[in-house]
Amino acid sequence: MARAVGIDLGTTFSLIATMQGGDPVIIPTSEGERLLPSVVAVSKTGERLVGWLAKRQAVTNPENTIFSIKRLMGRKFKDPSVQFDMKKVPYKITEAPNGDCKVVMGGKEYSPPEISAMILQKLKTDAEAYLGEKVTDAVITVPAYFNDSQRQATKDAGAIAGLNVIRIINEPTASSLAYGLDKKKEAIVAVYDLGGGTFDVSVLEMGEGTFQVKSTSGDTHLGGDDFDQRILDWLCDEFKKQAGIDLRQDKMALQRVRDAAEKAKRELSTMQQTEISLPYITADASGPKHMNIVLNRSKMEQLVMELVDRSIGPCRQALQDAGLTPAQINEVLLVGGQTRTPLVQTKVTEFFGQEPKKTVNPDEAVALGAAIQGGVLKGEVREVLLLDVTPLTLGIETLGGVATPLIPRNTTIPTSKSQVFSTAADSQPSVEVHVIQGERPMAGDNKTLGRFILDGILPAPRGMPQIEVAFDIDANGILSVSAKDKGTGREQKITITASSGLSKEEVEKMTRDAEAHAADDTRKKEEIEARNTADNLVYQAEKVMREHGDKVPADLKQQIEGKIAAVRSALQGQDAAYIRRTVQELTETMQKIGASVYQQQPGAPPPGGQAPPGAEGPGPGKGKPDEGTVEGEFREV
Amino acid sequence: MSQGVVMEEDRQEVTAELGAPDAQRYLDNWRRAEADFENYKKRIELERAETARFASTTLILNILPVLDDLDRAFKSIPEKLAHLTWADGIRLIHRKLQATLEAQGVTEIKALGETFDPSIHEAVGQTAGEEGKVIEEAQKGYRLHGRVIRPAFVIVGNGERPERNETESATDSHDSGG
Repeated sequence: MARAVGIDLGTTFSLIATMQGGDPVIIPTSEGERLLPSVVAVSKTGERLVGWLAKRQAVTNPENTIFSIKRLMGRKFKDPSVQFDMKKVPYKITEAPNGDCKVVMGGKEYSPPEISAMILQKLKTDAEAYLGEKVTDAVITVPAYFNDSQRQATKDAGAIAGLNVIRIINEPTASSLAYGLDKKKEAIVAVYDLGGGTFDVSVLEMGEGTFQVKSTSGDTHLGGDDFDQRILDWLCDEFKKQAGIDLRQDKMALQRVRDAAEKAKRELSTMQQTEISLPYITADASGPKHMNIVLNRSKMEQLVMELVDRSIGPCRQALQDAGLTPAQINEVLLVGGQTRTPLVQTKVTEFFGQEPKKTVNPDEAVALGAAIQGGVLKGEVREVLLLDVTPLTLGIETLGGVATPLIPRNTTIPTSKSQVFSTAADSQPSVEVHVIQGERPMAGDNKTLGRFILDGILPAPRGMPQIEVAFDIDANGILSVSAKDKGTGREQKITITASSGLSKEEVEKMTRDAEAHAADDTRKKEEIEARNTADNLVYQAEKVMREHGDKVPADLKQQIEGKIAAVRSALQGQDAAYIRRTVQELTETMQKIGASVYQQQPGAPPPGGQAPPGAEGPGPGKGKPDEGTVEGEFREV
Repeated sequence: MSQGVVMEEDRQEVTAELGAPDAQRYLDNWRRAEADFENYKKRIELERAETARFASTTLILNILPVLDDLDRAFKSIPEKLAHLTWADGIRLIHRKLQATLEAQGVTEIKALGETFDPSIHEAVGQTAGEEGKVIEEAQKGYRLHGRVIRPAFVIVGNGERPERNETESATDSHDSGG
């Protein structure tokens, strides 16, 4: 079954998205851009250009470069809006015999759906190249106010492009899907969509996964381009005041100022102030002139205030038409790149009396939502297995009551994980596996899921036996934990079905607790780790003295015994820093053993990195007492 | 092909439990998920290689305007300053910046005198001159590892003969603009 794509066929830019592994993603164009300009042209040599290429050559070929075709879709030539646009565009708009409008490009007449089809085809071809498979089924979005003939024209465009249009959906509906609102039961949603050239506001009523448009309003000629123009004008005025030169007369300079204005606008979305620095912007008899103007956010807000205010009227109108007050709106969504401007967000918050949602990339929300709709229609969203995640970390308790995680929270299940542990004492006959769930570093603060004992461990020094603990969670969330002595092959296991028994509230509470106690817990854990390190070092030191004591000079021997006693006494107290200090001293003293032992053996290789050489236990890391690997009744090997 | 036989048996067992249509659908979904995942892995591998190659794009795009400004500075250097060794020093800095970017895989796009090509050039204006040729370069374009990261901003000839008379050429460009 071929996948479906979602297409946002916009006035200035178009985007295409598809479902990948259950999530919608934007497919980049062959130029590596996520947006495709909705521009089509026929060059002087008769070549058809779409997107970025068409846009880049527009200046040289204005009468054969078609942009904003969306404004003409499904409209009659006599339509006042067509008559209005006709005066603003450099290409020719004509009347078809049936009263529809047509555009002239390269000496030929094209219907608006044919032009849109060229954009769709480019999106389709690029998507096929990217996905490595044929793309046929598509969901295309249209403004909520589009009438039947405009929707039909859009559908026709899809057909001409070789797409099977499985559904035409409203842009605000697509945005709501991108925000995951279809999962809610019932809600009234307002979508504020301020794009590059048009502004739309829609009120939707949602229930049981269906969306009904209650009202729409907007301004077909208000958008980000107007914001840029305001900043551009101000910069030109400022420069004229400073240098006495009007940059509006200089096309080249104006291009640079326009780019700088747009960049400044974007920067002021996150910064309070920006510097527009354009050296050698122009020159007069006295020499080159530089533009260096500081624009801060509040000045920019003054410049665009009137534009933002203009968007509030339609919001009021939409609410009035829907018969609602701002308080009755449950969710406000921000869509369109221009909504990144903080002033827009402030004004929208003010008007609706609530914070709008803005977590989805505002340029991409519509296309992403269309892809989701496509996935639903193709059954992909419903049929793909819903993979769950473990809400909390799962682990076991190790020496000193430390919680050692095996499967971290938010791991997608089914999954399994195993880790090798060891014993904490010499000749330890059994280990207890205490399975816990939670985010706290100390086992006792987490929830106990179960415990069992693996016995029959053969007598061996601590750290020698290898106990493999394996966690396995199946697709139903059932956890089985097993412990196996790799030496004897003895195994014990436990299956915990209640691991999913925590309610959502419990999970949230446990996560909150973990955050609240983070500092406290870390301190406790550090203390225990210091303790474990100290305990292990004392064990090592005593072992070395037992085995090699006869080779150690008497004064060093005495020193070491003194240091061991110091560590032991530190272990009686609670002071982690003190424990660490005595450990450090003992470690340093221990290293002298190696030096003195090797000095007694002429011809032996010089001491390498394996200090202290006396500790030749088989377990890796065993010879390095300060390594802090001792974790337990169990210990990682 | 004992493996095939085992699979066949497995399927029959499953079928008995679930009913044929369900089992078929699950098997289908499973295969699709597997295939999806395989494709996804391949694509991620490709994307990772791409990302590594082009990770510096944003940084380079932000540095290019500095290079542009240096270019402009030299274009308008006063005659009496041009011969100072001090100016040579700045020229060396300019060259060094260019060389550093080149070492990162940045190459200049040829523009002046070339035939206008929207895949590497962006037209910002028109002027008298051979039709379809780049008459003037307003801002250099650059590629990174062969990919256009910024097209050259150019002024393209409109087919009219270049006039010495300035007022006339101004009228011409006004006509073509309207």
